[in-house]
Amino acid sequence: MAWIDRLRNLIGNDDLERGLDEEMRFHIEARMEDNIKAGMSPAAARDNAVRRFGNRTLLKERTRDADLFPSVDAFGRDLRYALRTLLTTPGFAVVAILVLALGIGANTAVFSIVSSVLLRPLPFPEPGRLFFISYQPRANPFFEQGSMSDEDYLEFERRQREFESVATYGNNPVTLTGAGEPLRAAGVAVTTDFFHVLRSNAAIGRTFVPAEGEPGRNAVVIVSDKLWRDRFGADPRAVGRVVRLDGIPCTIIGVMPPKFIFPAGAELWTPLEIHLGHNSWARPVIGRLRQGVSAQGAEFAFKALASSLPIYPNAHRSEYEASVRGLHDRVVAPVRKPLLVFTGAVAFVLLIACANVANLLLIRAASRRHEISVRAALGASRWRLIRQLLTESLVTFVLGGAGGVLLAKAVTPALLALAPAAAIPHGVEIGLDFRVIVFAFGLSLLTGFLFGLAPAFQATRRDLRLHLAEGGRTSTGGRQKLRSVLVVAEVALALVLLTGAGLLLRSLRQILSVNPGFQPRNVLTATVDLPDSAYSTAAKMRAFHQSVLAKLSSVAGVQAVGAVNWIPLGQADIRGTFEMDGGYRRPPGFMAVKPVVSPGYFRAMGIRLLSGRAFSDHDNGSAPGVVIVSKSVARTLWRGDDPLGRRISMEDKPGPGDWLTVVGVVDDIRQEQLTDQPSPAIYQPLLQVGQPFFLSHMTFVLRTASRPRAVATSIRSIIRQVDADEPVQIASMDDAILGVTAASRFLAQVLGAFSIMAVLLSAIGLYGVVASSVAERTREIGIRMAMGASNRSVVRMVIRRTLPLAGAGVLIGAAGALAAGRVLRTFLFEVAPTDPLTFGSAALVLLGVAVAAALIPAWRAYTLDPVVVLRYQ
Amino acid sequence: MPAHKNDRLQGTLDLLVLRTLDTCGPMHGYGITLHVEQASDNALRLEEGSLYPALHRMTQAGWLRAEWGASENNRRARYYSITAAGRRQLAQEEKNWAQLTEAVQKVLRPA
Repeated sequence: MAWIDRLRNLIGNDDLERGLDEEMRFHIEARMEDNIKAGMSPAAARDNAVRRFGNRTLLKERTRDADLFPSVDAFGRDLRYALRTLLTTPGFAVVAILVLALGIGANTAVFSIVSSVLLRPLPFPEPGRLFFISYQPRANPFFEQGSMSDEDYLEFERRQREFESVATYGNNPVTLTGAGEPLRAAGVAVTTDFFHVLRSNAAIGRTFVPAEGEPGRNAVVIVSDKLWRDRFGADPRAVGRVVRLDGIPCTIIGVMPPKFIFPAGAELWTPLEIHLGHNSWARPVIGRLRQGVSAQGAEFAFKALASSLPIYPNAHRSEYEASVRGLHDRVVAPVRKPLLVFTGAVAFVLLIACANVANLLLIRAASRRHEISVRAALGASRWRLIRQLLTESLVTFVLGGAGGVLLAKAVTPALLALAPAAAIPHGVEIGLDFRVIVFAFGLSLLTGFLFGLAPAFQATRRDLRLHLAEGGRTSTGGRQKLRSVLVVAEVALALVLLTGAGLLLRSLRQILSVNPGFQPRNVLTATVDLPDSAYSTAAKMRAFHQSVLAKLSSVAGVQAVGAVNWIPLGQADIRGTFEMDGGYRRPPGFMAVKPVVSPGYFRAMGIRLLSGRAFSDHDNGSAPGVVIVSKSVARTLWRGDDPLGRRISMEDKPGPGDWLTVVGVVDDIRQEQLTDQPSPAIYQPLLQVGQPFFLSHMTFVLRTASRPRAVATSIRSIIRQVDADEPVQIASMDDAILGVTAASRFLAQVLGAFSIMAVLLSAIGLYGVVASSVAERTREIGIRMAMGASNRSVVRMVIRRTLPLAGAGVLIGAAGALAAGRVLRTFLFEVAPTDPLTFGSAALVLLGVAVAAALIPAWRAYTLDPVVVLRYQ
Repeated sequence: MPAHKNDRLQGTLDLLVLRTLDTCGPMHGYGITLHVEQASDNALRLEEGSLYPALHRMTQAGWLRAEWGASENNRRARYYSITAAGRRQLAQEEKNWAQLTEAVQKVLRPA
């Protein structure tokens, strides 16, 4: 094992070894020479010298031990004794080690994630000087990525003095062809200083040079290590190759090192040159702070500068604030809180496990009172006995810790598999590294010491040593009290976890019970992005869509087919304003989602038509413009008047031909998240939309009779028939719902698992206390029964002993759960952190578990034969 | 370090080594073996190698000091000498030994 080698190097064991050899060889040779002088033959002299020296290997071993562990004898004896004692009570050993393995394993697994995500710095040089510069929403500042508009960025870049260099970047998904199957790749467009800010170089080739974003020079791309391995066979000659991005030939100029995955999930980087146009983009901005400038100073300067930037002061000043935050903070912000919640929860599990084992230690110490008394009577000092007992608990905890490491090794990948994709930022590698192992064993030793101390003191109390005088029968006093306290604490901690998990579960159910406004079952979606290069006009795009739609409707098992440019619960949508006709005015700030859909879309998605008609194939470019509005649009805009026949326009200054007539009203749907308010939407027919921007990204929607996945292959081949160069992303709407609920699901599942562990552990604890109290009171129970107490009353007595413990735990736990609920508040959807139903059920579950745990000891008491008891006790 | 108080046999070996080094000054392991043999008229013959774990243990405990030196026939050998702590330990061990032999005497020849 590595650490032994390390230890060996540390103390220069090789020198030790050589010295020892030399010393012993000298002895044998000196004896040999003396033997020869005394007249022996050389062979006999050697034999005699070697025989008299004894077993050289063994002696060398023992000498080395003496050198390495000065007090190995004392500690070793304790250790051997501890192991022997554990082996004599295998039941205790197995239960205690398993319980601890569970507790320490869960903690180790969570710590390995926390360690690599929260504690490890970003993989860039001097990461402490990297900052994220943006307008942050004042409310909920950690869940929304801040950004800066292009106009402001250019101005900021020109005028700021606090940062050595700044850069901005934005998602730019592209279709990669010319390297295997067409691939929709997670591209990021970055200003050319991006890599300079991060001080990161390419592993092969180079990064961007200034002005490489300008038209004519910008046909270059840098690929990630993963993409390079997946698509270019890790061939260094990939640099210099020409691939097509959205159909445009681009030269690969560099391959980034494996650790460079920024922003999260990036597969390739393209140069970005900012051009101010009709539409302003807002993107995240990063910067490297100058030496000698503090973060506060930079933020102060940015706040001052922000008020004179072109866009910022005019828009939403009360909602946003100029802020400068550490890049690492920003990157881990979405996962920090869930991870801290896990850390807390898992610490509770460990505390319960430890309390459990402390209880077991107490119970075992009680059964060893005789042994301890004898040893004390023979002159063992109290300190000596405590040391012995502590060694035993340390051995137990360390064995539990070893089990925990094994468990963590098995569990961590499963835990990560449950985690939503976005939960693990910047491509960190998570595993059991040295730090984690040290953590696990440190934790074992610490808890073993803390939780072994009380039982050791308790077991060696002087009054217990009088035990011998009592002939082996004792009353039960303080030990019972300590055990009760431990069990009450266990139940309380378990209740906190159970309530927390219950709240999250209720919240998840609330989210899943939201009516999204469409029917997600049996819906398959296929998304295609059409590049400008091959599809330069809206007409060409529409031709593609029409051709695919026609072929899809003939697939067996498909009930309805439609298309929409941005699917609900997808990655993005287009929102905007519009103008109204007939004396109606759009309320200030009112915006609507503007999906472009095919006639079959509403039927395929299962969106209800409330009045009017759906689109038809006749709503084409030569027919009058029409729209369908959602319920909330109809209600808000025309205030109870019939919306059918009213007119709106998507143009800022509509001409006579720009008016679109409302022909139908459909139900509202949740556009981005199930937890959002329903989004007002204005639908336009596919054949009447002329801007390529609204058409290039299109999702085909198919409602099938059953098992939507079954038709996935035929859909792929149909789209390939129409255009073999475009990658297709296929998913079901159920996948989409899983996607948007992944974070809540993950939290609820992990906390649920922890709380189940907690409840089981505290059940074991309750059982242990009740069982041992029944065992200790066997004699008393026997006397009661002999005096005429009924079996029933004995059972009642046992249950009565349990319920106050559980009840006290539940009460204390409820107070803790109220506090914990406050921490969870941000994760809860339409569930109050004080939800009485959740609190009540959690309490009932624990009380039920308590009674169940008491039933076995109660049954034992019930079946006691007083005659047997009184004769043998 | 009271670790070996109860182990009479080991205690005896410690006692012999400490006494030898205190009387004769620095010696190597083989020299100690020879001295014990001669001084006891060959009555005490140790398993010679078992001396080394004891020497190293006592060095770790601070009773002895070890250093390399040249032997009589000019070879490298490790020499041990007694330290102040070693002398205190020697006094203690001698007292223990006296008590033990006295006690055993009493049992063997009751007054």
